[in-house]
Amino acid sequence: MAPEVSASPISNQIRRLRFEHQEMTQQALAERIGVTRQTVNAIELGKYSPSLEVAFRIAAVFAQPLEAVFQYRETLSPRRRG
Amino acid sequence: MSFREKSAWITFVLLLAFGIYFGEVAAHMLDPTRPHTNYLQLFVLLVVAIVVLEIITHAVIAFRSPHEAQTPIDERERLIELRSTRPAFFVLLVGAFLSVGTIHMGASTWLLAHCVLLAIWLAELTRYGSQLYHYRRGA
Repeated sequence: MAPEVSASPISNQIRRLRFEHQEMTQQALAERIGVTRQTVNAIELGKYSPSLEVAFRIAAVFAQPLEAVFQYRETLSPRRRG
Repeated sequence: MSFREKSAWITFVLLLAFGIYFGEVAAHMLDPTRPHTNYLQLFVLLVVAIVVLEIITHAVIAFRSPHEAQTPIDERERLIELRSTRPAFFVLLVGAFLSVGTIHMGASTWLLAHCVLLAIWLAELTRYGSQLYHYRRGA
């Protein structure tokens, strides 16, 4: 299970997990975790790294441990992590 | 496009419209022989028009997506607002210092007031412009 490509050092499996959960829409996931659909989209694309609280909420929705949803790549330089 | 991004676009465009006022002021300063404009009248007219248009346009976008309009601001949107405040504050700070500088150049109270008003306007444009940049960029 290779992490999806993203600009952020944090990649995620949200898209795949949504697909595996009856093709859950971004809007449905957004409503369950209390953010906007655009924020879910930004997280999925790796454009925005969510807070720990939102990350845990996403993991809880899919009934997965956090590390099964989010992966951290240490190969990027600290300057890009900002 | 999210409700708050649409809202930021509306406010940014309406704020740009306030440039009409500064255009009038600049035109008068460059050409003092130009017929006198009632600045207070123009100022009040523009402020009222902008407020009314803000209310109408926000009511329209809220009507078109009521669920989104009622969703509380989330952490990413809050972060965008905070990130946009920093460059706006910088613009305001520089504008305030330059405005004070005009006093030492013998500027009138009228000019000083307009310099401060210009700094506030530019800072607000920077704030909303920066918000739009961050919304488009995705973070």
